[in-house]
Amino acid sequence: MNQHAKLLRMCTLTVAWLLSVMIPALAQDTLTYEAHVRPILTEHCLACHGPSKQLSSFRLDRKSSAMLGGDFGEPAIVPGKSTHSPLFQYISDPKHSNAMPPPGEERRSLNAEEIDTIRRWIDQGASWQEEETIADGMDHWSYQPLRRQWDHSSIDGFLEAKRRDAGLSTAAPASPHAIARRISFALTGLPPDPTSVHRFVQEFLQDEDRAVERLVDDLLASPHYGERWARHWLDVVRFAESDGFEMNHQRVNAWPYRDYVIDAFNRDLPYDTFIREQLAGDRWGVEAATGFLVGGPWDRVKSPDPVLTANQRADELHDMVSTTSSTFLGLTVGCARCHAHKFDPISQQDYYRIKACLSGVQHGERALSSTNADAQRTELDACLAKSKEIREQLRSLEPIAQPNSSSANRSPLSHRENVENFEPIIARWVKFEVLATTGAEPCIDEFEILSVDGDNVARDASVTSSGDFANNAFHQLKHVHDGRYGNEHSWISNEPGKGRLIFDLGKSASIKSVLWSRDRSPEPRYSDRVATQYALSVSNDGESWTIVADASDRRDRNSAPVAELPNDSLLRQLKEIERKMQSLRDGPQVYAGKMAMPEPVHRFHRGDPTSPKEIIAPGGLASLGAFELPLESSGLDRRVALADWIASPDNPLTARVMVNRLWHYHFGTGIVDTPSDFGKGGGVPFHPELLDWLAAQLIEQNWSIKKLQRMICTSQVYRLDSQGAQEAKLRDAGNRLLCYFPPRRLEAEPLRDTILSVCGELDLKMGGPGFDLFEPNENYVRVYETKMLYGPTEFRRMVYQRKPRVELDLIFGTFDCPDAGQIQPKRNVSTTPLQALNLLNSRFMIDRSRALAKRLEQEAGATVEDQIVRAYELLFSRSPLPAEIDLCRTLIREHGSEAFCRALFNTNEFIMVY
Amino acid sequence: MHRRLFLGNSVSGLSSIALLAMLANDSARAGEAPIRPAIDPSRPYAPRSPHFPARAKRVLVIFASGAISHVDTFDYKPELVAKHDMPMPESSGLITFQGEQGNLIQPRWQFRPRGQSGKMTSDLLPRIGELADDLCFIHSMTAKSNTHGPAESQMATGFTLDGFPSMGAWVSYALGSVCEDLPAFVAIPDPRGIPQIGQRQWSSGFLPAAFQGTPFNSDRPIPHLNRPETISLDTDVATRRMVQQLNGIQQASRRDDEFLAARIASYELAARMQLAAAKLSDLGDETAETFSLYGADDTSNTNKARFAKNCILARRLLERDVRFVQLFNGSYAMGEGVGNWDGHKVIEQQYSVHGPILDQPVAGLITDMKRRGLLDDTLVAFVTEFGRMPTFQKGASGRDHNPSGFTVWLTGAGVRRGMSYGATDEFGYKAVESVTTIYDLHATILHLLGLDHERLSFYHNGIERRLTDVHGRVVRDILS
Repeated sequence: MNQHAKLLRMCTLTVAWLLSVMIPALAQDTLTYEAHVRPILTEHCLACHGPSKQLSSFRLDRKSSAMLGGDFGEPAIVPGKSTHSPLFQYISDPKHSNAMPPPGEERRSLNAEEIDTIRRWIDQGASWQEEETIADGMDHWSYQPLRRQWDHSSIDGFLEAKRRDAGLSTAAPASPHAIARRISFALTGLPPDPTSVHRFVQEFLQDEDRAVERLVDDLLASPHYGERWARHWLDVVRFAESDGFEMNHQRVNAWPYRDYVIDAFNRDLPYDTFIREQLAGDRWGVEAATGFLVGGPWDRVKSPDPVLTANQRADELHDMVSTTSSTFLGLTVGCARCHAHKFDPISQQDYYRIKACLSGVQHGERALSSTNADAQRTELDACLAKSKEIREQLRSLEPIAQPNSSSANRSPLSHRENVENFEPIIARWVKFEVLATTGAEPCIDEFEILSVDGDNVARDASVTSSGDFANNAFHQLKHVHDGRYGNEHSWISNEPGKGRLIFDLGKSASIKSVLWSRDRSPEPRYSDRVATQYALSVSNDGESWTIVADASDRRDRNSAPVAELPNDSLLRQLKEIERKMQSLRDGPQVYAGKMAMPEPVHRFHRGDPTSPKEIIAPGGLASLGAFELPLESSGLDRRVALADWIASPDNPLTARVMVNRLWHYHFGTGIVDTPSDFGKGGGVPFHPELLDWLAAQLIEQNWSIKKLQRMICTSQVYRLDSQGAQEAKLRDAGNRLLCYFPPRRLEAEPLRDTILSVCGELDLKMGGPGFDLFEPNENYVRVYETKMLYGPTEFRRMVYQRKPRVELDLIFGTFDCPDAGQIQPKRNVSTTPLQALNLLNSRFMIDRSRALAKRLEQEAGATVEDQIVRAYELLFSRSPLPAEIDLCRTLIREHGSEAFCRALFNTNEFIMVY
Repeated sequence: MHRRLFLGNSVSGLSSIALLAMLANDSARAGEAPIRPAIDPSRPYAPRSPHFPARAKRVLVIFASGAISHVDTFDYKPELVAKHDMPMPESSGLITFQGEQGNLIQPRWQFRPRGQSGKMTSDLLPRIGELADDLCFIHSMTAKSNTHGPAESQMATGFTLDGFPSMGAWVSYALGSVCEDLPAFVAIPDPRGIPQIGQRQWSSGFLPAAFQGTPFNSDRPIPHLNRPETISLDTDVATRRMVQQLNGIQQASRRDDEFLAARIASYELAARMQLAAAKLSDLGDETAETFSLYGADDTSNTNKARFAKNCILARRLLERDVRFVQLFNGSYAMGEGVGNWDGHKVIEQQYSVHGPILDQPVAGLITDMKRRGLLDDTLVAFVTEFGRMPTFQKGASGRDHNPSGFTVWLTGAGVRRGMSYGATDEFGYKAVESVTTIYDLHATILHLLGLDHERLSFYHNGIERRLTDVHGRVVRDILS
């Protein structure tokens, strides 16, 4: 406890004691909280329900909290009615299940006199002077408007003044080599190439300012700038390309959001527009931008349990509310899901107002852009006709089934389409009896019965089964003849290895074939649960059955289909057409949310979806000049209004939060050291004037991020050496005054990019679907196994990794790579032996050593000294010292240049930016 | 001897101010001062003091993945037998995870009294049952979710949502490790595969990566532990010496560079780990008697023998003072109930496979730990994500998820033996007596390690995060 609070408590006690001693008569009259009740609570209760600790989210030293109650959700004090007040019940009845203080704790129970005081106080109306409303945090610095008057007009001016006050001076200037390397890493996340370093050094020696400005401008104009800064942004917004939770399936169409962010940085999209598009890009046709909203985890495991379903939806929207407010406002609004924010002026209503702005957003994909629908329709029809034709052709090649046969001449059974051809027969009922499967209960995604005219008469049949897989949205009996393919529209029986379907066609029909499958979607994913023994029979009375096909004449599962060998081209054509049809149907999709009708948002008592309270209208935070929309407003209008409110120059948080993020990524620590928390629980700005000046600059320069970064990178701080004087390290341990340039370890992504880059292997192709660092896997629960062998496919920049949630690859995942389970506005930097082992022994690194050795020989020739110099230029942007050359030469002579390259990759200098 | 000298040298020159700057430089937060351990970046695994004297020095968590049925193993309910095949009272219309419920179904295995205490446990796990006098059962455990992913996350990390640090990460963050040449936190995945939530079981979440668990088992060693075969020992030694020398040149001009010192130290620890881990994983020095105690010699059941070797590995890690070991029985879903304890449809058939894999190896492990004295200062917790229904699912011969009441057990340091704490109702459906939460379990485990679960914290996104969120009460009744 701090001194201040201690003093306060002592004063309170003293005053209370004085009062009780001096005016005992008063005790018989009106009892007050401060004078009579607080001393009792202080002794017995406040240790657990006071300023420092709030067990069950309940505190007794604040009127609002005490009256509202804690986790139990009911007012603890009902003024005038002690017997109805849980507080009184708990302290007075030792047998109560919530008897307080809890039995067994060291704290003494209240004595009769104390209990009586509280009883009388409540019965008298619980007089309590202190009133603390939600808005009492409004004096917090980050809620104040930006300053408008400045003492300085440059970053260096602001910093220099502070350093002068502290009596600290700056470090020596850095070498131009070091400056080139650090600016290059800061802006592009890639090492500078030796030629540009050389040119920069020449220019720098002539005109420092001009050389730095030119370098910075060049790098800001590089497309790799967007890749570097998009990766930072993706940390802040918890972006990943899989669902998380148990199944953790990949989101194959999530990448357009990543490309959108890269492009936004490269185009220097004004930050206010960047905000608007991520919240409501669908208003302006920028569909991919709203990938922001659904960038978080999503539980794909669904259940008929309504409580579970409500909780899942509440969690989805909670993720959107929390991420939206932490990203743009630097506020932890998510804390107000269950109760008013503990430190900040954010009420529960505020939380639900923002939730109502987002409640029309569902996880899922939508069209990336609208296309010409008519032309699409015509083309689709043509494809459909063609595919039907080919199918007919292929089917006719399949021999007539011979039940109970001993010779196998029909195609092997497959999870895809199985054809049962038989002599045309009149039938009213068709029965499919599965007797064995490849494992588990049989699954059939579609069952078609073809009449002699080629029509599928199963569509209008009524179907019964021996039993169905219980309560699963994907697997239902009606799906077996719904005309839709794939696991999501299939039937599964309720018995392992067995199951029966009976189709009643309504009237007798002449039929000739049956088609059935496990997964006939264009890209089938499931090959389990396929029937291996079955009987297909028909009947005209529903009692006597004639078997028309079984598995006895099917070829072995490993052999080729009958039609495949002579008709290879036919099959290939069909596949091509089907793929085309699928993409025509869908058009390019993006995982940017399905925008639906907003569902009504209730305030949930204690955040519990099973305790809905009043309906809340969409709006913003009351303490920040909230807007409010009518309940009938559309989902899009809600998001647009929210975006306008956030992206306003009058919002005191928006610009501050963004310039602080930029500062954080440039110097390792923000001016506020908690980049996504500008509330009372967060950090205090180290230099408030500088923060405000930067924020004002951002707004004035039309929210240009690049212009702000240009100011930072061309400042004198960026030209200081990274060795701090003892004095500065002692008196400014966090180097917040930037007396020297803060050295940094490369993060996982630029580290991997740099390794590939110096080997000459980095593939700089931008955009599009990403690459995988994990082996392909189609299990129900996606299993992530890190690849051990990497080819050129994986040699793109790591921002293009198809990033799974909460799974990190074995090599670079150990370098504090965020796992996107939570937002990560600030990365940890740890140094571990596993990192060392990965860089020393992984196949990836051994192959890179070989590649680098090859490059050195190609570019520097056979002379060892030249190779060493070249290596130092590539890896460290400098020339080697004589002592270093000696060491390297010896190693190369005795163990070869691959060993030398492996050593350099493992040096500290390689992984650091000084 | 050399080792210590080595370490001593590399640590010198590090200032503790720098450490604060790295890990805990955030400004003072509201509330009671949390305890954030001061971590030396060059020795992230260095032992750190607990908040108060600890009863346990290390922890073994045995995680039965997929939700093992308490009513078929440890929670004996005579009424469930008496009311066999009758509807559960007041359960009409009850919808659980997969849907509607059928009748109450008695345990598929006979319960018998075990040990001196006569504790009733079932024939599914007879050898573990025989240890009942040493175990402390908590029959009133409850979970927040009835889906595997979130519930397994809660048991592993305290939170149903993704992205939080696992218990082992919290413990190694708080206490470091006495063991100088192995990771502080090791996870041993089941031979059949990784658990349902994969790496989240041993993730460091938002804690520094130094505290993430290192997964390996008797089949799969630590990745990249060994020098590649293509590189000779001589070359490897020379290469690493040169790394050291080049770093040394840099250090001469950057005397008080704490990052550099930490990097040098991490390579030294890696070298020690290579030696120690190789020795650790070589079970050649175990006796035939030990192998047969664990069932590691059972050639008729490969998965059992492989899991048994993992159990031996767990004991060897604990003997070497590794702080936190997580041993998995059961893997991700490879089809319902195939790879783990998720017995929805044909529980009897599935558990007949899983029971023998678990029983002898774990019983052997506990017995072995006891006779070697390891139980005196090691806490063992056997957990699962939730329990199963006393009813069968409608139209199936298995049990659905049940987070309202299930059983976990503890043994070892600081825990009362032969005890049964809390209870479910007459059928084993809901916890009704001394209802316990996962937060309570975590609080208790931290307590036994000498840690105050309300103060051990890490600042992240505006909140002093704890393993127990804002909940948890130490279950004092089970402490010895």
